[in-house]
Amino acid sequence: MTSPATFAELLERHEREIYAYALRLTGDRDDADDVYQDTFLAAFRAWPPPKRGSERAWLYRIATNKAIDRGRRAKRLVRLGDLPLAAPERDGVSLADLAAAVKALPTGQRAAFVLRKVQGLSYTEVSLALECSEEAARSRVTEAMKKVKEAMR
Amino acid sequence: MSELGPIVAEARERLVERARREGLETVGYGVVDSPLGPLWVAVGPRGLLNIHYGAEPSSLELRRIVRTYGPGVLPDARRVDEVARELDQYWSGKRRGFDVAVDLSPLTPFQRRVLTVTTRVPYGALVTYAKVAHGAGNDRAYRAAAAAVGDNPIPIVVPCHRVVASDGTLGGYSGGLDAKRRLLQLERGEVPPGGWPSRE
Repeated sequence: MTSPATFAELLERHEREIYAYALRLTGDRDDADDVYQDTFLAAFRAWPPPKRGSERAWLYRIATNKAIDRGRRAKRLVRLGDLPLAAPERDGVSLADLAAAVKALPTGQRAAFVLRKVQGLSYTEVSLALECSEEAARSRVTEAMKKVKEAMR
Repeated sequence: MSELGPIVAEARERLVERARREGLETVGYGVVDSPLGPLWVAVGPRGLLNIHYGAEPSSLELRRIVRTYGPGVLPDARRVDEVARELDQYWSGKRRGFDVAVDLSPLTPFQRRVLTVTTRVPYGALVTYAKVAHGAGNDRAYRAAAAAVGDNPIPIVVPCHRVVASDGTLGGYSGGLDAKRRLLQLERGEVPPGGWPSRE
């Protein structure tokens, strides 16, 4: 895909998934609004986006940092059950349980888990978004999965 | 994800407002309804840049805009309000000329001259491509003038529909000849016997 020529084109391509990510990460609509706006304003200021199709990971990285900057992430429960964006219900596990387990994860693991398991990014994209090695991204997700599974027992 | 759409749209309005306040938005656009269907309208720092027949922009026009004003193009209905209001008045027959500033700066000097001449053609009047070429200072550049009129990025407001061929046929129109006929009918209140001649 070619690089977006205008801010509008970048929005059209990515705003929904970035908003959904912000919502999952913050668990609150007002906070998600702020993260979404801060993310795209930062992207506009830093224009142009990186080339070779890494613009998606670039936006996720900005969004992750903006969410951390706001320092509010751990404040509220991710109300996955309230939203049609929720991860699919698996093996009879309720979304509320899953949300609680995800909420309990440390910051880095939580972001890695949401990016990989909810947003469906590749490990390369997760590593770019979180500015860590691919190996570290894998281990964060593995660790997060282990904790989530334990919490759901 | 179906319920996310309206939530994101609301958030986008606030984002665009902030981008405008911070000077990041150079060009705002919106889609305006008209009797000839939806019109994609873009307004920049110096005025109206583009009216395109349809709900989507033309890629040629968008490239021109980005070349002149950079990538800060955002959906912003507020920026096109004034144009929309004047267009509504025009469609209802209450307006015969437009007051909104037009910005032809993304065009070549010759295109600008041709369209400036076109802008002066009064409501309901007709001129030929040859006369426009003459007005732009080059009698022999008839074809180039016709091309510049045909490439007019601001139809309706820059009234290229009032420019016709020397033999009395309609020539061409970016919105289609039917749109040209309807605009002339609106302004002149009549059509020649048998309708406007054309080479279709």
